[in-house]
Amino acid sequence: MPAVQETIDQVKQIDVDQYKYGFETEIEVEKAPKGLNEDIIRFISAKKDEPQWMLDWRLAAYERWLTMDEPDWARVYYPKIDFNDIYYYAAPKGQDGPMTLEDVDPELLRTYEKLGIPLSEQEVLAGVKQRKIAVDAVFDSVSVVTTFKEELAKAGVIFMSISEAIREYPELVQKYLGSVVPVTDNYYATLNSAVFTDGSFVFVPKGVRCPMELSTYFRINEENTGQFERTLIIAEDEAYVSYLEGCTAPQRDENQLHAAVVELVTLDDAEIKYSTVQNWYPGDKDGNGGIYNFVTKRGDCRGKNSKISWTQVETGSAITWKYPSCILRGDGSRGEFYSIAVSNGHQQVDSGTKMIHLGKDTSSRIISKGISAGVSQNTYRGQVSAHRKAANARNFTQCDSLLIGDQCGAHTVPYIEAKNASAQFEHEATTSKISEDQLFYCLARGIPEEEAIALIVNGFVKEVIQELPMEFAVEAQKLIGISLEGSVG
Amino acid sequence: MNVQSKIVKTAAEEALSEHFLNALGSLPGSPAVVQGRDKMFDALMKNGLPTRRVEAWHYTDLRRLLGSVPAGAASEDATLQAGLVENAKVLSILNGQIAEEIDGLPEGVSVSSFKDALADGGADLHFADTELDDAIGQLNGAFVSDGYQIEIAADAEIETPIELQFVQSGEQAHSRTPVVFGENSSATLIERHLASDDAEVLVSSVSHVSVGKGAQARWIIVQAQNEQATHLGQVNIELAEDAKLELYVVNAGGKLVRQEIVADVKGSNADLVLRGVNLLGGNSHTDVTLKLGHNVPNTTSNETFRNVVFDKAKGVFQGQIKVAQIAQKTDAQMACNTLLLSDDADFSAKPELEIFADDVICAHGATVADIDPAHLFYLMARGVSEKSARGLLVKGFVAEVVEDLEDEAIVDALEDIISDWLQKNG
Repeated sequence: MPAVQETIDQVKQIDVDQYKYGFETEIEVEKAPKGLNEDIIRFISAKKDEPQWMLDWRLAAYERWLTMDEPDWARVYYPKIDFNDIYYYAAPKGQDGPMTLEDVDPELLRTYEKLGIPLSEQEVLAGVKQRKIAVDAVFDSVSVVTTFKEELAKAGVIFMSISEAIREYPELVQKYLGSVVPVTDNYYATLNSAVFTDGSFVFVPKGVRCPMELSTYFRINEENTGQFERTLIIAEDEAYVSYLEGCTAPQRDENQLHAAVVELVTLDDAEIKYSTVQNWYPGDKDGNGGIYNFVTKRGDCRGKNSKISWTQVETGSAITWKYPSCILRGDGSRGEFYSIAVSNGHQQVDSGTKMIHLGKDTSSRIISKGISAGVSQNTYRGQVSAHRKAANARNFTQCDSLLIGDQCGAHTVPYIEAKNASAQFEHEATTSKISEDQLFYCLARGIPEEEAIALIVNGFVKEVIQELPMEFAVEAQKLIGISLEGSVG
Repeated sequence: MNVQSKIVKTAAEEALSEHFLNALGSLPGSPAVVQGRDKMFDALMKNGLPTRRVEAWHYTDLRRLLGSVPAGAASEDATLQAGLVENAKVLSILNGQIAEEIDGLPEGVSVSSFKDALADGGADLHFADTELDDAIGQLNGAFVSDGYQIEIAADAEIETPIELQFVQSGEQAHSRTPVVFGENSSATLIERHLASDDAEVLVSSVSHVSVGKGAQARWIIVQAQNEQATHLGQVNIELAEDAKLELYVVNAGGKLVRQEIVADVKGSNADLVLRGVNLLGGNSHTDVTLKLGHNVPNTTSNETFRNVVFDKAKGVFQGQIKVAQIAQKTDAQMACNTLLLSDDADFSAKPELEIFADDVICAHGATVADIDPAHLFYLMARGVSEKSARGLLVKGFVAEVVEDLEDEAIVDALEDIISDWLQKNG
């Protein structure tokens, strides 16, 4: 059904022209020469002071990458990327790695202040900012600062940039890096394996509930620079961590590449909540510029009864190619994917998830809301599969799309594969069947259907949304309000 | 991804090539048709039979699944069966050929042989609109030998169902059925595919159904071949203004089955109703692929597919609904429900929406599950044994779909097919 005025206005507010984070920081940088070859990889590795095994790993990935073809199955169209016309390493001068807050260039601190990212521990502690949250700030190719490290260390939680972790905890990194997203996984993941420059590393030991939220804020600043971040999060038995990721970039006419890899591992009874508010520069209203966001995110529920939950609010990027997935390997493990993808202007989104049920009694839930406006194209692409031994696998999938204007497109491409008779899969692109019991409960109490559905969906998305920082949560909630509107057919 | 690298030919591909060389001389066709056949076959062989890397064939890797190809025409005679319903006018195609004089047609129905059309060059092989991944269109276009061309005259209301009975006693057959429902006409056509016991057959059947302005058409496909049969079917549909087509597809046989339905809703107020029942057992592989395009404003479509999968069978449903930018006020609903009744069976579904218009109601739903234990309990608590309770529930699950048809005799006949199949395989 057509959208009403209020919805249109709300979407306009987040239109490409309204991009708030398009400013550029004037700062001296150190760059590696443009282009991609073994020397660049050696340069990055040397800059990071990496052990030999890491360099070998990168070089092997590069060799593999040279033999691969760029994937073309997604519904996104863009001119061929010249991988030799990109800077693979750019760092603010004198900033080869994270340091203490006092040593960070004040210009950088001002940038994060403008972006609304709380880097000052004192401020947070003094209650100036509402929530206590540890931040790893990644600026172009390096992590500039990681806050609350000491307090986290007391709890036994390791939170640092991945470059530091490779130096300080090589055994841990070596054990887990590439174990969820293999080096050979796909074109962009392989490229990332060769040239990744920074990202976050989180290790939550057995039985520890991480005392605060962890967050990484990615900022692309330099021109012609690609950002290749690598994030690795490990939750040991009974551990819990909630992790947030935010990203922005300046307004430019050129397209910039962001090819990240995120790997999550949960062992027995552990849980990771991973939330993203992706707000890369989407390009201008004529489709010039913007970030190409080609990201591989995957979680491995390795232990029994473990849980991984992905929440994403996607509003930015010229092109998004991203499928945060869960491998439900451990018996009784659970995967969740909640997504709100808003596309406007000339944006192209091809996003979704994969839930691979391998263990017994595994369950997964996918809630995807796509909103397209302008001349954008918004595709949900998802896979749910139950393997032979995945007895009692359960999945519920709901994908709703809302179109605003007749120049845009919304597409749904689910792949549902069941190889076990006790599997129970439901895929719906309508709202009429959403938890009929709850709906009936509301209706029976005089709440109109649309409100009832809003209530129910908001209800179960909320528990994830409310884990986001306040400003993100407000934004996300607004978006959910929009996405629900008109969903009653 | 629709690109395949050059590959070594499989046994089936070799056999097809050899068969094509041998048969080309004897296949009917004007020089233009022969040229068309050549092009079709070249197109098919250029990339080889489609593999799972071709998106449209992702779950049916024809190259791997088509192990062997029976060569040439059948040696034994095929036997005509009684019509699906008593009052039907049966037109038969035995081993790919029209074997009898065409007579006794109801008034308003004209029928001619596609073989004649091929010979005099009047046949349209639809070469121009055969897409790269259209292996069935290419295979059929290369080998087509005969078929009925049917035209229902404008304003004719045909009460007698017309049954096209394809019986195969062995080897290969490739037929094509162009059908035109004239303006404001109404008629029921039954496309029924049978094969003699145990004969290993390869059948391709392509229909082009054009439903004229205001026409009410019913098309019923019953595929009940033996457990050795390979069936590659394709129905191409065009709906004009105010036209309505009810399409019923029942698959109750075959070893390797792919039924493609390609529908183009191109007249406003047109309505397509599609119901499918797929009964899968043994080692069979059955794929129903729907490509539905809504291309003008104010059209509706409604699809329901029910599948039951036993033994080591593999089922596939791909359903794509595409709504063009101008096709405002489209109402398209699609559901695909599957009962997966064996741990060795598997089912893959890909219900796809591709929407470019904003003022539309489009929905799809897909479920895969075992029999609901609550339903089973309800019946068992009332003294029904588990076995018969399961039987009842499975039958009810699929039979429900054919009951939408407003022709009791056909509903009964389809229900009998379902019951017989479940009796034998359930």
